[in-house]
Amino acid sequence: MTEANIPILRRITSPFYGNRRLLGYYWERLKKNKLSLIGLGFIIFLALVGIFGPLFTQDPTKADLGMSNLPPLGLSRQESIYNIKTDDFTTKIIEGSPAHPLGTDSKGRDMLAMLVSGARISLFVGLLATGIAIFLGTFLGVLSAYLGGWVDNVLMRFTDIMMTFPFFLLLVLIVFIFGPSLAIIVLVIGLTGWTGAARLIRSEALSLRTRDFITASKALGASDTRVIFKHLIPNVISLVIVMATLSIPGVIMAEASLSFIGLGDPTSTSWGTILNAGQHSLETAWWVAVEPGIMLFLTVLSFNFFGDGLRDAFDPKASI
Amino acid sequence: MFMPWRAIYIPGQVNSMTASAILKIENLKKYYHVTAGLVARKVGDIRAVDDISLQMNQGEVLGLVGESGCGKSTLGKAIIRLEEPTSGEIYFDGTDVIKMSKHELRKLRGKIQIVFQDPDSSLDPRMTVGDSIDEALIVHDFKNPDTRNAKVAELLEKVGLEAGFAHRYPHEFSGGQRQRIGIARALAMDPKLVIADEPVSALDVSVQAQILNLMMDIKEKDGLAYLFISHDLSVVRYISNRVAVMYLGKIVELAEKNEFFNNPLHPYTEALLSAIATLRPGGKEKILLKGDVPSPLNPPSGCRFHTRCHRVMPVCSQKEPEFKEIGPHHYTACHLY
Repeated sequence: MTEANIPILRRITSPFYGNRRLLGYYWERLKKNKLSLIGLGFIIFLALVGIFGPLFTQDPTKADLGMSNLPPLGLSRQESIYNIKTDDFTTKIIEGSPAHPLGTDSKGRDMLAMLVSGARISLFVGLLATGIAIFLGTFLGVLSAYLGGWVDNVLMRFTDIMMTFPFFLLLVLIVFIFGPSLAIIVLVIGLTGWTGAARLIRSEALSLRTRDFITASKALGASDTRVIFKHLIPNVISLVIVMATLSIPGVIMAEASLSFIGLGDPTSTSWGTILNAGQHSLETAWWVAVEPGIMLFLTVLSFNFFGDGLRDAFDPKASI
Repeated sequence: MFMPWRAIYIPGQVNSMTASAILKIENLKKYYHVTAGLVARKVGDIRAVDDISLQMNQGEVLGLVGESGCGKSTLGKAIIRLEEPTSGEIYFDGTDVIKMSKHELRKLRGKIQIVFQDPDSSLDPRMTVGDSIDEALIVHDFKNPDTRNAKVAELLEKVGLEAGFAHRYPHEFSGGQRQRIGIARALAMDPKLVIADEPVSALDVSVQAQILNLMMDIKEKDGLAYLFISHDLSVVRYISNRVAVMYLGKIVELAEKNEFFNNPLHPYTEALLSAIATLRPGGKEKILLKGDVPSPLNPPSGCRFHTRCHRVMPVCSQKEPEFKEIGPHHYTACHLY
């Protein structure tokens, strides 16, 4: 051991030195998957829009009946107006207006502003509810696998019971009882959505538990807490991230579905709410339904692409 | 026939003349309960380690051989209570391991260490190897990061690696290098006994020799003892001072190395030795063992080896042979002697 080694070696104990290198390695692998990069790009775009967009757009709740059902910029639609004096129809061509680049809905609300607001809500619900669900799932799964015995039995039977609940029905029921609000929706999705994660994490942790490096750590005298937090969780974390990414679209869809059937938070404009409004005016203003639909489609697809890419990047056996 | 020199085996008195016993195991048993059905009705025991007594001396290498599934690894893990023994006594350096509290056990675990068979799974893939080695120091309350770093570097150099490797991840190393890292980790707390659980069987032959030489060098330098678990007799012959043979949870023969290889007593040992490939053509006829090791859930009556023994006698299936000293420091459990 030479003195010169010490400054280099000091970095062993710097907590992020190693992790940064590992992250760099995963990033290199992820970069090779173009689809997942596109997905990531769209997610970042959506996040920026969700965070900063509302500063630049109009008030999404401001109705202006004089400007109803304006088509997106560059498109036009015909409207037949009945003239009671001549008992005749006159056709009027309505052009899109630069003030409403994506058009307006039947109440004259700006579609762009509503979509931006929807992006914010979708991401908020998606991230928060998934966060709760994955946190619970990881915690219970690792605990169940590591402690084993009756703890494992009780936790897993409880998971089974939770899984038998028809999730959407439960959601509808609770929203019906407590009234529709974003907080309730997030909580219900979060508190019921952990079951799949718990099972998957448990099975992963079970196989990790018997690996030699866990035994080695115990043989060195490490405590259970240390083994769980330093070895088990870091080794399931990649699975957790992948699972979170892949379950966000489901949550976003669940929120949109709730809003679509009219059980969404009435004080907020989400994509589901717009879709719901749009279905009534499909003939006159198809864009009201199509635009949030495209956004949902792109968002779900992006998360799926990104999740797939992450899974491959994290999997040491996958050759990229 | 009366043979006064054949002392009767008394548990715990193996090599009692040597004062520097580092590890003493007496009547150690590890049974796994097998349960079935909804109410977890006990249907039997798997006797992985069944009444084993052993003694190891300071600086000694004891080779432990046997087929897979005979309980070698379980014995190794039971010694540091990674597998909680069912009954029996373990003394390490004169202190009772079985009666140790959790805290004392943690202290002990620096002094008895394990080197694992598979270098792929013995290092945490999400930790730099430096952190893996460092863990031993953290767990044993070394607070000063500079001291720890210096120690990690020293350990890496001790096993023939560069200190700068500490920042790398396990997947950046070859199998042999990883095994060296595993050894470095085991040496972190200056152990007195290292349980080497088939440390070279997953490696190429050329790398095997390097690792064995490294282990020998470290042993000479630090004066530690190895319990060297292996199924490879040529490796055991190279590294051991004494050799013990296990069969279905029991030790059937124990002798000094030269005595063991020149004058095997137990028919099972004979069969194992005859299976070593030799270069001499037309050597001794090979003794082929029939079938597999019987299930430890339901071991054969009498001598457990009688179902596969080529020198089986009527008494073998009825009476369990005693483990006794036949020659000087040469013990076996067989009705032939």
